[in-house]
Amino acid sequence: MPSLRRRLIVSLSVSLVLFFGVTIVALDAVFRSLADRSLDELLDAQTVALIAATEMTPEGVTVTRLADPRLTTPGSGLYAAIDDGRRGWRSPSSIGAQVDFGSPLASGERRTVRAPGPEGGPVAVRSRGIAWRDDDGDTYALTFSVATTLEPYAQQLQRVRTQMFGWFAALAILLLATLAVLLRRSLAPVQQLEQEIRGIETGAREALSTRWPRELDGVATNLNALLAAERGRIVRYRNTLGNLAHNLKTPLAVMRASLHGATSVEELRAPFEREIDRMSGIVEHQLRRAAPGGGATVGQAAIEVRPVVADLRAALLRAHSHKDFSIENAVPEAVRFVGDRYDLGELLGNVMDNACKWCQSRVRVSATVEPQSPTRTRLRIVVEDDGPGIPDSELGRVLERGQRADEATPGHGLGLAMVRDAVGQYGGELRLARSAALGGARIELELPGR
Amino acid sequence: MRILVVEDEEILRESLKRELVAAGFTVDVASDGEEGLYAGREYPVDLAIIDLGLPKLPGLELIRTLRAERRGFPILVLTARDRWQDKVAGLDAGADDYVTKPFQFEEVVARVQALLRRAGGWASPVLSCGPIVLDLRSQTVAVNRQAVDLTTFEYRLLEHLMMRAGDVISKAELTERLYEQDFERDSNTIEVFMGRLRRKLDPDDTLQPIETLRGRGYRFALPRDPN
Repeated sequence: MPSLRRRLIVSLSVSLVLFFGVTIVALDAVFRSLADRSLDELLDAQTVALIAATEMTPEGVTVTRLADPRLTTPGSGLYAAIDDGRRGWRSPSSIGAQVDFGSPLASGERRTVRAPGPEGGPVAVRSRGIAWRDDDGDTYALTFSVATTLEPYAQQLQRVRTQMFGWFAALAILLLATLAVLLRRSLAPVQQLEQEIRGIETGAREALSTRWPRELDGVATNLNALLAAERGRIVRYRNTLGNLAHNLKTPLAVMRASLHGATSVEELRAPFEREIDRMSGIVEHQLRRAAPGGGATVGQAAIEVRPVVADLRAALLRAHSHKDFSIENAVPEAVRFVGDRYDLGELLGNVMDNACKWCQSRVRVSATVEPQSPTRTRLRIVVEDDGPGIPDSELGRVLERGQRADEATPGHGLGLAMVRDAVGQYGGELRLARSAALGGARIELELPGR
Repeated sequence: MRILVVEDEEILRESLKRELVAAGFTVDVASDGEEGLYAGREYPVDLAIIDLGLPKLPGLELIRTLRAERRGFPILVLTARDRWQDKVAGLDAGADDYVTKPFQFEEVVARVQALLRRAGGWASPVLSCGPIVLDLRSQTVAVNRQAVDLTTFEYRLLEHLMMRAGDVISKAELTERLYEQDFERDSNTIEVFMGRLRRKLDPDDTLQPIETLRGRGYRFALPRDPN
């Protein structure tokens, strides 16, 4: 795709050329019509002067005093003629010059024509028919014509055109240059963004800088969120793999040791079964820890919470089918979570699973939303049970990795620490308290909603 | 009772077969999704045990295909993935229950027996008898379209009664059904649960959905809606 700057410059150049072209044509037409009119006025004035200087003699017309010296100078470019139907009169300037003054006109008629003049250059001929009454009362039809060369006029038009083109070209270049500078200035952040992204690719940067023009702020913030989530995921997977490998080594070592000292298969059964249980516990533990992604809320559709809770409810009732209890899904319709569906399932699955383990007979899941910005809300999902609850002295401790409030019921501490981390990655919070309604634990997840 | 086991791991498949045969079932086995689909279509299967991670045709696809072809036999899912989303996905696709690997064989057999006892005369997973509707998949019960919050035991009693709506079911059978997995035996008797269930389903005492027949047992009295 062509660059933004090139697109802008090309389209603006095209419109500038069009705009200036139309302007030039219009100005040219205006100038020519003005010039034509002043030429006519000039010729009319000469004609009037000629009429004033004309006398009628029995031999024909004659001109006594010529006001404009150009009429007496041959080749001056100003020529005059009077047609009286007989010999007529021609100005001395037209001697030796071929000027076609045209046919005689009836009285009152006027005419302007372009005609070939002397030396091929065009002339403008202005003619006027007059009914001339002399002192004796005789009337003669006379046609007065004045012609002027168009050479200076053409030269002036040329000069005006050249100047006009010159100015407009200069103006266009100036405009485009200004535009190019402005574009470079206003597109500089885009270029910087590109450079910073390249920096991230090559590992020179960790994240994009934070100060951007409003138009780019969203892109940069979202990219940073994506990067942070991705980095978090990688770290988590790396930790998980490391822990997994490390934790599996102990049971393996125990098994190897028991193999070493054993004399019969029966002797091996007990330690092997114990270690296998331990290893599957470790695998389960690490997989759960690695599960939720969290954080990246870019381009994610908002997810309805109620159906997710309904699905988990069905799965949990089966998982705890030996126990007589109920799970109430009190999440209202149209409560939505912005983030990954999978993450929401894991978060709620862990919290609800804990509640199912600890409850006497009731688990309740509810949710509220409150507006935070025009596009976002704060979503609070509350999971309560009527079990013993978490003692105040243990509230801090259960959130530590691998800690359990009660070592006898497996999985309590780990799940919550994982949930807390994942909720944190969504910019939310995990709160533990005692449930006022049910009397047991109350776990509140604060998450981004819509 | 004929059970189809679809599992690609040979050791697990053969152990399952051995355990199920020992528990008195006839067992067919398939080692991949396509074989499983063929068996599910061709044999008179009463229940299928399907592993989710199958070669050729993934377990979820297999379940969806079977359900799309309106094969209603109960399906028990085996999943190695201990993530909530995976458990939920199996139930969503149309499975009836799941067991997480690594599992105890006793648990699989118990679940199979529970699912088989449950199945009876309903083509759809939604049992509806007049105003009372029970959804086997989502384990939800509604009366007059209002959700009723039942405990696991209350639900299981109602499920058993509604599955065989119209039949008289003895107290002994219900007790056995309630404590099928042989975990802790509760001091609560069937009468206590029945009282709670009736209060929740019919607080005004107008529907009278469950009849007590002295000395014989209980009967779900509302007629089944035609499917």
